[in-house]
Amino acid sequence: MPVYKAPLKDMRFVLHELYDSTAIAELPGNADFTPELIDSVLEEAAKISEEVLFPLNQVGDREGCTYENGVVRTPSGYREAYRTFCEGGWTSISSDPDYGGQGMPLTAAMMVEEMFCSANVAFGLYPGLSHGAYVALKHSGSEEQKKAWLPNIVSGKWTGTMCLTEPHCGTDLGMLRTKAVPKDDGSYSITGNKIFISAGEHDLAENIVHLVLARLPDAPAGVKGISMFLVPKFLPREDGTLGPRNGMQCTAIEHKMGLNGSATCAMSFDGATGWLVGEPHKGLAAMFKMMNTERLSVGIQGLGIAEVAYQNAVAYARERIQGRSLTGTKAPEKQADPILVHPDVRRMLLTSRAYIEGCRALAGWVARELEILEKSDDDDAKQVADDFASLMTPVVKAMFTDLGFEIASLAVQTYGGHGYIRDHGIEQYVRDARIAMLYEGTNGIQALDLVGRKLPQDGGRLLTRFLDPVLEFIEAHQDNDALAEFLPALSQALEHVQEATGVIMEGAMTNRDEVGAASVDYLRLFGLTSLAFVWARMVAVAAPKAGDDGEGAQFYRAKVQTAKFFMERLLPQTGALLTAIRSGAATMMEFEDAAF
Amino acid sequence: MGAIQSVAVIGAGVMGAAIAAQIANAGIKVRLLDIVPKEGDDRNAIARRAIERLKTTQPAPLMSSRAARLIVPGNTEDDFAALAECDWIVEAVIERLDIKQALYRRLAEVRKPGSVISSNTSTIPLAELMTDMPESLRPDFVITHFFNPPRYMRLLELVTGPATSADAIARITEFCDIVLGKSVIPCRDTPGFIANRIGTYWIQTALILAMEMGIEIEEADAIMGKPMGFPSTGVFGLMDLVGIDLGPHVNASLARLLPKTDAFHRMNREAPFLGTMIAEGYTGKKGKGGFYRSSGRGKDRVRETLSLAAAAQGRLEWRPSIRPDIAEVKDAKKDLKQLVGAKSKYGRYAWGVLGRVLAYAASLIPEIGDDIAAVDAAMRLGYTWKYGPFELIDRLGADWVASHLADLDETTPPLLAKLGKGAFYREDGAALLRFMPDGSYRPIGRAPGVLLLEDAKRGRKPVLTNKSASVWDIGDGVLCFEFHSIMNSIDGDILALLGKTVALVQKSHKALVIYSENLRAGPGKENFSVGANLGLAIFAANLRMWGKIEGTVKEGQKAMQALRDAPFPVVGAPSGRALGGGCEILLHCDAVQAHAETYMGLVEVGVGLVPGWGGCATMLARWQTAKDAPRGPMPAVAKVFEMVSTAKVATSAAEAKELKFLRPGDGITMNRERVLADAKARALAMVAGYAPAEPETLQLPGASGRVALGMAVEEFRKKGVATPHDVTVSSHLARVLTGGDTDMIDPVPVAAVKDLEREAFMALFRTKESQARIKHILDTGKPLRN
Repeated sequence: MPVYKAPLKDMRFVLHELYDSTAIAELPGNADFTPELIDSVLEEAAKISEEVLFPLNQVGDREGCTYENGVVRTPSGYREAYRTFCEGGWTSISSDPDYGGQGMPLTAAMMVEEMFCSANVAFGLYPGLSHGAYVALKHSGSEEQKKAWLPNIVSGKWTGTMCLTEPHCGTDLGMLRTKAVPKDDGSYSITGNKIFISAGEHDLAENIVHLVLARLPDAPAGVKGISMFLVPKFLPREDGTLGPRNGMQCTAIEHKMGLNGSATCAMSFDGATGWLVGEPHKGLAAMFKMMNTERLSVGIQGLGIAEVAYQNAVAYARERIQGRSLTGTKAPEKQADPILVHPDVRRMLLTSRAYIEGCRALAGWVARELEILEKSDDDDAKQVADDFASLMTPVVKAMFTDLGFEIASLAVQTYGGHGYIRDHGIEQYVRDARIAMLYEGTNGIQALDLVGRKLPQDGGRLLTRFLDPVLEFIEAHQDNDALAEFLPALSQALEHVQEATGVIMEGAMTNRDEVGAASVDYLRLFGLTSLAFVWARMVAVAAPKAGDDGEGAQFYRAKVQTAKFFMERLLPQTGALLTAIRSGAATMMEFEDAAF
Repeated sequence: MGAIQSVAVIGAGVMGAAIAAQIANAGIKVRLLDIVPKEGDDRNAIARRAIERLKTTQPAPLMSSRAARLIVPGNTEDDFAALAECDWIVEAVIERLDIKQALYRRLAEVRKPGSVISSNTSTIPLAELMTDMPESLRPDFVITHFFNPPRYMRLLELVTGPATSADAIARITEFCDIVLGKSVIPCRDTPGFIANRIGTYWIQTALILAMEMGIEIEEADAIMGKPMGFPSTGVFGLMDLVGIDLGPHVNASLARLLPKTDAFHRMNREAPFLGTMIAEGYTGKKGKGGFYRSSGRGKDRVRETLSLAAAAQGRLEWRPSIRPDIAEVKDAKKDLKQLVGAKSKYGRYAWGVLGRVLAYAASLIPEIGDDIAAVDAAMRLGYTWKYGPFELIDRLGADWVASHLADLDETTPPLLAKLGKGAFYREDGAALLRFMPDGSYRPIGRAPGVLLLEDAKRGRKPVLTNKSASVWDIGDGVLCFEFHSIMNSIDGDILALLGKTVALVQKSHKALVIYSENLRAGPGKENFSVGANLGLAIFAANLRMWGKIEGTVKEGQKAMQALRDAPFPVVGAPSGRALGGGCEILLHCDAVQAHAETYMGLVEVGVGLVPGWGGCATMLARWQTAKDAPRGPMPAVAKVFEMVSTAKVATSAAEAKELKFLRPGDGITMNRERVLADAKARALAMVAGYAPAEPETLQLPGASGRVALGMAVEEFRKKGVATPHDVTVSSHLARVLTGGDTDMIDPVPVAAVKDLEREAFMALFRTKESQARIKHILDTGKPLRN
């Protein structure tokens, strides 16, 4: 049976030590969120994650959801867990107090989210999708719509979905066919088929609010003709009670590689009543408001799964005895040494650890900027924050989920053949992690977004929001002995980013395929360099505290050592990525189609 | 008779004066005569006032202050006898037959035998002008129809009569072509000749159909402008520009002269509101406004547009201007058929006008001439169409045009029917052929001394090429380096190719010409090169790649120096804008053969930088070694400082000489199409015994000079003329131009000044303010005053 213990110490390190949490506490509306309060929230989140959600993870995987006559039943225990989850206020922690939320800073909320993902990512999708719907409605809905719908979504009484994908169109939403015909009373009649709708139908809540992309009769072709509609499962009456069932139903659920506890539904809308959200034909823009938040959340899924997989790999490596150390017996009292003594096992564990802690620290930075964007009243700071979050969103989504899968796979590797056995519960993480690289825009699309859209924007302005802090840090720590062995590696990685950017942008002027050919490598190069930067920052904080031998210092010593591992064993990939990027698009584009 | 050397223009109205200005621009003394005014003591007052007006008119009709002095004012009484010395007399008086003929009779008395007499008429046929005129005049009489403004519009329609002598035609053609720089298109004596015949029909059709189809003025201009390659003003904007009052005269003349069967009559429908507009003074830009006008002042200034719907009902109402958002117009960027083939109102309007214009043009062959290439050239050069009507038909496909003419109830013109599925133009190896009315294709010839790069390129491959530049073999051992980046801006590719080119010429050729050609660019729109690619520069800055940026500066300095040091002649052949780095390339050429319309300047301060590719060093050397330069290091420094710190741009090649962007020995070619041939000839002439110029040393004042310049800048700051960042930029510039930490008595090698340029350039580039200036000019096209 797998184990999970929320990494509260590391989370607190990122929240309070690595970054200055007072600046976040000083933002308007954050006065109540003292470090103490946040810590206690984290502890409560750890408790529900470890005790309520985590035990259901394997159950959910084995039972899956069941479908019968349009009704979807979630796995055993989900209903009770969801009730506990809502009662604990976990659906509403970061939502706006105006709609019943608790307004907690995103910096902390993101840590909480990670715990839910580690404990049970399939379960987490239900409230996760609701939060996505909340964000979209909050940004684009009318005041009236927000008042009417948001409180029930925030409290978890109702859940939400996002209905984008159709059988023939996923990435290319321009081909979308679902129709919305205006009715005399100001509402619309929605007709069409949607697939891959997470939480589209279930038995956890009394009502489900679907946000559906559809075309108005006069809509222009392509992505400029898509509007967003709010379509509830049950039409509420004036008094707030649930009225008649709306004209839609779930026609099937998918049988998937993983994430079995989450219902992935095919939805059929047949003249369902809906209301326009935002302006006509601006649906995609409205959906993208939420999409950015969702993409970060998906990145956190990768991180969450990586953390739990790593914890189990460590536990297994400690207890599993097999063979002897290459440099002589380490546990003479046992028949064999624990596999933890083997360099390659340690390589796998440290690789996982270095990525996980790096990603957590990077997520912490992104969350801070999002928090500033959401709550600050300083326009310049908000612009910087917006630029930075836009730049990092595809990186977080794609790199975190790529790494989530890699680390889950490394955990299986650590288990050896036992990792492949279902009872150990470790192979589930590989299966559950795989989807995060696909949904909310495949990781290939994320890389295109980064290189094709974010980099060229405004002459490369977004990139300065990353480069300047790094350059300032390097400059400021020139004489910091603790960083002496880290800064050259960081500087070199940064130069690789600069050069790769230049190479791609110049190539793209004559051949747009250069963008596509370089994008995935570039995203990883950029991601690794951002990890290198947060690792250097963590060293700057941890090194002074790593000196004494006390138990408290061990955490900081491990930080510095993990940083060293990252810089020496993982960061050098940037050089290889740059070399690959420099080679350009020719090798893949000149290959004859017929020869594939 | 020998070549034309002495010229007079009679009639000092807008056209007459501007024609005189262009003759003066060519360095020829010209008499400008008008009648003696009824009042006042100055009998030459009318011509004198016209000359004064020339000095302030924009765009400037005069290329230099020297040119103004070549125009001699006079009057048609006192100075008439002096016309006897003239080889060419241009009549540009009011469009009245009786007045013109009275003048011709007088001219016939005094003129010297064989002198050419020409009229600038646009509305009266030559046959009418010559009716009852003295026989002696006929062999020497032609119509030279200039287009307004004559300095900038390259078209000159030359109409000759059956009695005109071949000698007169040859002399006037040669003079107008080579000396005045016009593209002389021979025309038949038919109403409106070529350009106005088609152009008037175009404007009239666009106006009438817009009114009748309920198209708003901005919409019509958005459709009938850029998408089709017509001037971006569109038709209504164009009428505002040239004067709305001009239209009725031209229309009336065409209506009078054209046969009743001509399609013009069908389109010459009434638009009575035009008369009201003219009567009320709404004649366009020169009047109280026209179809467009501005109301209010300062912040409250609003641009307004005449409501065509109201005007059609006889009411003149202006409303706030709109920005039309027409999907078909956007689609036309990829394919014009998306606009003219659209079934929407806008599509029907677009084709309604264009289809009729194309059909009309095709129906006029052979009436107005046999040569479709001449017709296309006339429309390009006289109306600033990017493509002539037959080129437009080829773009759409002749069969497509023919089949869609049915939608307009237009019959297919015989020429188009004869062409069938073919095209009007065809390439055959290096030759460009055009379709003739007899069904054959014949090559388009160029006059001797005309060399177009597009001809040299046809059917051939470049000797060297990359995405921003190419090198072409233009024969006789001369290579031509051509820019083709965005606005011919300079990037790493161009610098790299320059290096390769120098090596190649050294190995296997005799000389190099640096040249760009965009003959379809409208007046003032051509670029030799606008300088360094700022988009790339700002990207590199945002990438914080300072090392790379400095590397590019060094590379540029090296490339420029290599042009100078090459063991073969390098001749720059610019036309249009040569700014910043584009100017610096020319400064490093061994000689320049410039088109008269060349605009050189070191404009780097506009984006918060200083010239970094040797512009400062070269200009210092030019001013210091000039024959007329005052002694001591300071005058040259002060002069270059003044020019660079104000981003002074020469408004002509002649002015570039005054500012020493060009040297006294550099050549100026008036005719755009002759620039390359002249440059090539110059390069070849330099080959024998060629040795690269020795590097100069400069005498620079050092710190004391810097203080003096600093005080001047401080004055400007106090007056509010210089912004805080201007002061920063100026102080860096001052340091470069004064030689840094040098002492007045030490000679400073040019290379040292280049090092200073680079230092200052990098220091400024790192500032937020300079980056903001670059960003602003990229985003808005306008300088930021921060």
